[in-house]
Amino acid sequence: MSVLPIKNEHGFYEIRLESIGGLGANLAGKMLAEAGVLGLGLNGLNFSSYGSEKKGSPVKAFIRFGEPDLQIRDASPVERPHVVGVFHEALYKTVDVVSGLNPDGVVLVNSTRDFDEVRQDLNLEYGTLAIVDALGIAVEEKTKVNTAMLGALFRIVDFLDPEAMRNVIRKTFEKKYPHLVESNIRTFDRGYNEVQFKKYEVPEGAKGKDFERPLPIYGYETQPIGGTVINPGNSILKDLSGSRQGFLPEYHADKCIHCASCDTACPDMCFVWEQGTDKKGRPQMFLSGIDYQYCKGCLKCVTACPVEALTTKREEIGFAEEHRVPQKFILASK
Amino acid sequence: MAIDYNKEKAQLDQLASDGKPAQELTFESGNEMAAMAAAQINYHIMGYFPITPSTEVAQYLDQMKTRGEHDIVLIPADGEHGSAGICYGAAAGGGRVFNATSANGFLYMIEQLPVQSGTRMPMVMNLVTRAVSGPLDIRGDHSDLYYGLNIGWPIICARDPQAVYDMNVMALRLAEHKDVRLPVIVAYDGFFTSHQKRRVNYFSDRKTVQDFVGELPTGYVNALDPQNPVSIGPHMNDPDLINNHYQLSNAMYNAHDVFAEISAEYEKISGRKYEILDSYRMEDAEVAVFLLNSAAETAKDAADKLREKGIKAGVVSPNMIRPFPTKEIQEALKNVKAVLVGERADSYGGHGANLTHEVKAALQEIKGNETVVLSRVFGLGGREFFIDDADKFFDLAIEAAELGYAKQPFDYYGQNPGEADVTPKRVLEPLYGDAFKTGLIEVKPNEQTGKLDVKVPPLRQLTAKPKRIAPGHGACPGCGIFPGLELFFKGIEGDLVVLFQTGCGYVVSTGYPYSSHKQNFIHNLFQNGSATLSGTVEMFHEMKRRGEIQVSDDFTFVMVTGDGGMDIGMGPAIGTALRNHKMIILEYDNEGYMNTGSQLSYSTPMGHMTSTSGVGKHQSGKRFHHKDTAQLMAATNIPYVFTGVEAFPQDLLKKAAKAQWYAQNVGLVYGKILIACPLNWKSKDELGGSIVETAVNSCFFPLYEVENGITNITYNPEARNKKVDVVEWLKSMGKTSHLTKPGNEAIVQDFRDEVNRRWERLKAKHENEYL
Repeated sequence: MSVLPIKNEHGFYEIRLESIGGLGANLAGKMLAEAGVLGLGLNGLNFSSYGSEKKGSPVKAFIRFGEPDLQIRDASPVERPHVVGVFHEALYKTVDVVSGLNPDGVVLVNSTRDFDEVRQDLNLEYGTLAIVDALGIAVEEKTKVNTAMLGALFRIVDFLDPEAMRNVIRKTFEKKYPHLVESNIRTFDRGYNEVQFKKYEVPEGAKGKDFERPLPIYGYETQPIGGTVINPGNSILKDLSGSRQGFLPEYHADKCIHCASCDTACPDMCFVWEQGTDKKGRPQMFLSGIDYQYCKGCLKCVTACPVEALTTKREEIGFAEEHRVPQKFILASK
Repeated sequence: MAIDYNKEKAQLDQLASDGKPAQELTFESGNEMAAMAAAQINYHIMGYFPITPSTEVAQYLDQMKTRGEHDIVLIPADGEHGSAGICYGAAAGGGRVFNATSANGFLYMIEQLPVQSGTRMPMVMNLVTRAVSGPLDIRGDHSDLYYGLNIGWPIICARDPQAVYDMNVMALRLAEHKDVRLPVIVAYDGFFTSHQKRRVNYFSDRKTVQDFVGELPTGYVNALDPQNPVSIGPHMNDPDLINNHYQLSNAMYNAHDVFAEISAEYEKISGRKYEILDSYRMEDAEVAVFLLNSAAETAKDAADKLREKGIKAGVVSPNMIRPFPTKEIQEALKNVKAVLVGERADSYGGHGANLTHEVKAALQEIKGNETVVLSRVFGLGGREFFIDDADKFFDLAIEAAELGYAKQPFDYYGQNPGEADVTPKRVLEPLYGDAFKTGLIEVKPNEQTGKLDVKVPPLRQLTAKPKRIAPGHGACPGCGIFPGLELFFKGIEGDLVVLFQTGCGYVVSTGYPYSSHKQNFIHNLFQNGSATLSGTVEMFHEMKRRGEIQVSDDFTFVMVTGDGGMDIGMGPAIGTALRNHKMIILEYDNEGYMNTGSQLSYSTPMGHMTSTSGVGKHQSGKRFHHKDTAQLMAATNIPYVFTGVEAFPQDLLKKAAKAQWYAQNVGLVYGKILIACPLNWKSKDELGGSIVETAVNSCFFPLYEVENGITNITYNPEARNKKVDVVEWLKSMGKTSHLTKPGNEAIVQDFRDEVNRRWERLKAKHENEYL
């Protein structure tokens, strides 16, 4: 008798969580895995992608379940998941979060948008799309996104016991932070209950999303010897807007006194300056705006601004693109 | 061994009904299990230094210590060389010693390791295997392990978290055995085994482990027995050394049979069996792969699939590689037609890495043996090993078995040529010379005061100057490193050559194939950046003198380091200062080893919480006071020393301008910038600037300079009526919130006293030019 509803050719049921550092996907992965292994006696494996990733950088967590008597020897990451959990919606600008998803798989997205829009952004042809406003729940309950996501994941991975998870939450908080027990249980339950599903029919013979192991950009014939980067400064090509967690600074030019406090405070070189002339006709520097491509939403500039020319704004889709003032780099001529 | 649930459960039940020691089932990683075994054994001493991916072992032990679960004295060393010294000295003291390290940490201590085996001082070290630099790669391969093959330490391998626990329990007995008396390495795969959680059984009662390990053996030399004085480690000349090494060699070979005995005994209490050579489906195998640790497990799945197709495939994987299990290898492979030896390391130019040749040598001893041996270097730098990779290894072995020879005996596996038309192209037009000169900063020596007069413009005007660092780096939101560095660089005119020692600033600004550095940049490992850049400085001046470099202005050379780099690199930094090279050492201090996960540094203040100075019933953060690096560097009598923070920008700008003048005209400059780390200070991203401002106003981090030996406080919070108590600063961070609560008043008072004492002394120096 098996509790696992579906398995791959090796006998595994596999889950992949896609997130950015700091949202607690790693911990959520661990709790899911423990619920299966210690709670149900399944065999299992859990780990996260590893590297020098910092807070705000893309991370993955993997869970592999097998029958209790199935040996798990394979230490490699989950490439063809049955369930994908996307903790951070902006990720799919830079990461193919549904890569390798099984045709009958489920993808859960933390979003406030409607199914068809999200489906389009994900390039999801078929399969089940699940949406939960985990950030909204977490903000309302003053808890963490990962707890709401866990609730929704327990609904999807329905062979796991949500009551066991509630007990884990109770145990985690009751000793040190008893006042947080109820709000966290509520967050979990709301994730569980508020997640919505929409199924996109799987055509006959569908194969699921292709998975390709990415190759490095340069190979042994093209990588400059010694590992040297011969085109430094090329990090300007990166888009870091996916590191923002819902907030960004908004610039009000009319209030700005061009003191450059924001420029000093900014860790990410986002402030764009232009030469102009002051009232007396002398050359002077003026702040023209923010390059949101690099803004990670730390809001240090808002704290540093002495005149409220910078304020905190809940990020709406399209705002950054519309209001971005690009840095004026001198690009190489060839 | 991987877990087989039914067998395991049956065994556990059987063991329990036999009255054997009780075991618990848990779901943990390799690092957690290494720490668990160490805590149960209750070693006397661990001298350690953080390095990914082994660091967690010390962190878990620290967490357990805060809960009072063991008595191990955890000593944070100044680097791995120091940690090996602590461990050696502790072992010479006669007690039980433990350590864990990886990669270049292992190489940094390697000078000490033959000392320990040659003088026969047992201990246990976990080597959590990782790629050796350079280029720097934090993920797993076996290139570090291979450096350990010749150091005289028995090496046992642990292929999964269960084995990490079991091998750690057995390793100490092996080390202390009368016929061995050697330090022992337990090697397991970085990340694959160290960080992956698996089902693991462990003994419920630590007494079971302690009984198995036994009492600390007596009757061996140690430095702490006054009744039996001994001289440990005399120098020894040619007629004697060979005899010492012959003893060592014999002890090493003895470890083979001793491990077999210990393992058999361990099986009796645990139900888990570890052969010296793990042979999987080898009884009648015609083709085989030879792999170490986690990759061998993956290959077993591939072998199962081949067996289903009727191909007689097997996997051999040693649980012990020193001594090398020659007999077992011969037995397992003598009838195999072809074996592929896959190695996560190379011995460049050796036509196969080390174990290839050891397997070949073992087979060569069998008269008439015709087994074809193929060798492949794979999985370097943490490259994954999937089942289909194992399939390809078997395909190569099958082909060689059919042909009777190897088409290509040695090769790499997994490399790719790239696409000819995809090569790195310049993105930014190079900026140099006048690009970084504003003409707005003036520095002039004042003959009357003997000091420099400096004029700097408002920050607004300096926004016209390009930044030295390009955006797109991967630092955490709110990281204080780049605001601190950029503010400093704004005060520097002209071209820079920078060296970043290993640390957050380096890692986030240079993830291949990207770099955020617009001008020339060098990285070196973080014990050696000062020395390295001093070499570049001298090369510049010598080539310039010989007329081989034509530049209108000299470069400004800046060595950028974190506070961790000023711990492990203190020696070379002082050496560089004493030689007085024309360069700047710029330290960004975030009070911990943030790049490896927030372990304490010597700059971490007393009572602060880090991942190796936890807060709990039995411990309240770091136990000793923060290092005063600025005063240490000032004591080398270099021309200029300063401190700064982003919250006082004009102050830091002026110091940068002075630093440049001294570094171009006189000699070495050292500066320390306190910067916020919201992630590990557990503070709000947006408050970094105000937190370091409060650090200044509490006099924890005074702003001053020491110019030609004369101290000058550049901002006095008392005089400005801005002085606040240290608690105001401690309140602003999560890592110190425990200090503001009842029960920790004594620690806070101790910290306050130390801060005030240093502040008063600084004021005295400010008043008196001879202090």
